[in-house]
Amino acid sequence: MAPISIQLLQALTQELTRLPATPGDLAIAASQLAVQLDGLARLDALDLLAVEPATVLVPPAEAPEGPHAA
Amino acid sequence: MPPDNLTRLSIAEAGDLFRRRALSPVELTRAYLDRIRRLDGDLLAYITVLQDEALAAAAAAEREIARGEDRGPLHGIPIALKDLVMTRGVRTTCGSRILRDWVPDTDATVARRLADAGAVLLGKLNMHEFAYGPTGVNPHYGTSRNPWDRHRIPGGSSSGSGVAVAAGLCAGALGTDTGGSVRIPAALCGIVGLKPTYGRVSRAGVVPLAWSLDHVGPMTRTVTDAALLLQVLAGRDPADPSTPAVPVPDYRRALQGGVRGLRLGVPKDLFFERLDPEVRAAVAAAARSLEGLGAVVEEIPLPTIQHAGPASFAIIASEAMAYHEPYLRTRAGEYGEDVRARLTTGQFVLAHQYLKAQRARQVIRAEVDAVLTRVDALLFPTTPIPAPRLDEREVTVDGVTEDARWWLIRCTRPINVTGHPALSVPCGLTAAGLPIGLQLVGRAFDEATLLRIGHAFEAVSPVRDLRPSEA
Repeated sequence: MAPISIQLLQALTQELTRLPATPGDLAIAASQLAVQLDGLARLDALDLLAVEPATVLVPPAEAPEGPHAA
Repeated sequence: MPPDNLTRLSIAEAGDLFRRRALSPVELTRAYLDRIRRLDGDLLAYITVLQDEALAAAAAAEREIARGEDRGPLHGIPIALKDLVMTRGVRTTCGSRILRDWVPDTDATVARRLADAGAVLLGKLNMHEFAYGPTGVNPHYGTSRNPWDRHRIPGGSSSGSGVAVAAGLCAGALGTDTGGSVRIPAALCGIVGLKPTYGRVSRAGVVPLAWSLDHVGPMTRTVTDAALLLQVLAGRDPADPSTPAVPVPDYRRALQGGVRGLRLGVPKDLFFERLDPEVRAAVAAAARSLEGLGAVVEEIPLPTIQHAGPASFAIIASEAMAYHEPYLRTRAGEYGEDVRARLTTGQFVLAHQYLKAQRARQVIRAEVDAVLTRVDALLFPTTPIPAPRLDEREVTVDGVTEDARWWLIRCTRPINVTGHPALSVPCGLTAAGLPIGLQLVGRAFDEATLLRIGHAFEAVSPVRDLRPSEA
């Protein structure tokens, strides 16, 4: 499990995703990513190029008065 | 019958009493409202209680039943909904501060189906904020307390649903399950929780966490009651494109038949690694009980299931981030810290990792499908541990210390990745009096066989009819 730099994540939020994030949030994100990235890399063992991806559905369109309007 | 005894009735029992005119929906609704008033100040299962509306609905049901207009087994039954199910004219908070005052102007399909079946809505139930966590800890509305031990979490994210059903604050409830959020609180609170097959029950009008993993399911005190609720909920909904037109069987009839001759597979990979000893013993005893009833129990390999955890992480993180980005951009400070931090993580999962995870699901699902051609269902624990204490961030089992949240989701989230139906049934109590859940997983759209196995086990379960002691 390789550690992930909080400074790197901070730079990404500032320059790439442009979402606000506190240092505390980024520390937790770094820790969660460090735990999961090895597992994600090991998915390659499943020979994934030979399979069709699962159907990806997105939520239906929200009405104008839906939750995001709250 | 004393009011508190009324709130111990199952849905099936209450319905039978209604039809014999031995109990009225108003009487039963009053008993639940009275119990909510007495106990929920401590248990915190409800975010919104609909006292006047519930009594009016119960009175209407009572009049209909008196006229011989029977809408079926849920007619006049007091139920409650996790507070991310949209309800017309009733605020739907998602356990959040962001949606504290949001009042939808439409019903979710599942809310409408329950209302059409004559169910009485008692209120909206507490939950982990936006369903993004398995503990039920909620900084905005308080954390629902486990009725078996109020110093312990109820599990989440459908925490209020688990508590309300277990404590007799409603006859049945709906929860949602993206990584275990129906089954975890069901196991930790000692009730029945069913995550149906992906697409079996409409999610239209249910605020999503991760659209491709979300399921809506019933939480009840008996397997029969889960069957009765599923009967009303299941089926094609044009408003949810993930619901295929697969016929809906008669689930109550399917409960009969027992388990003689059924083959149950025990997958040792992942699900039996590092278990609390009392959980291991209770699940082993449950397997022996089912063998005693005539089932054939055998070990089966499921090697790709180890990849379900990382796949689940990438999918939930990405889809939740996609849904919440507008809020994160403008209202980040209104989230609780744990949910905001988890959402923040989602922006660092890359698109190719998400797609890889979606492909991995197909491989894992195919392996489970293949195993389920040889056995009728899989059997393993719902959670590797019983309910942690409210302040317990990490739990140690077999010398391994991990975040309590990772323990809780380890045996449930793989089945969201595959989409198969999964039923959690109470199978024991620890020496400290904490419930333990047995998980059964079946073939896609074959909830009937799971309910049949669960019903047979329930009849011989060592915790049958056991309820938390009075507050």
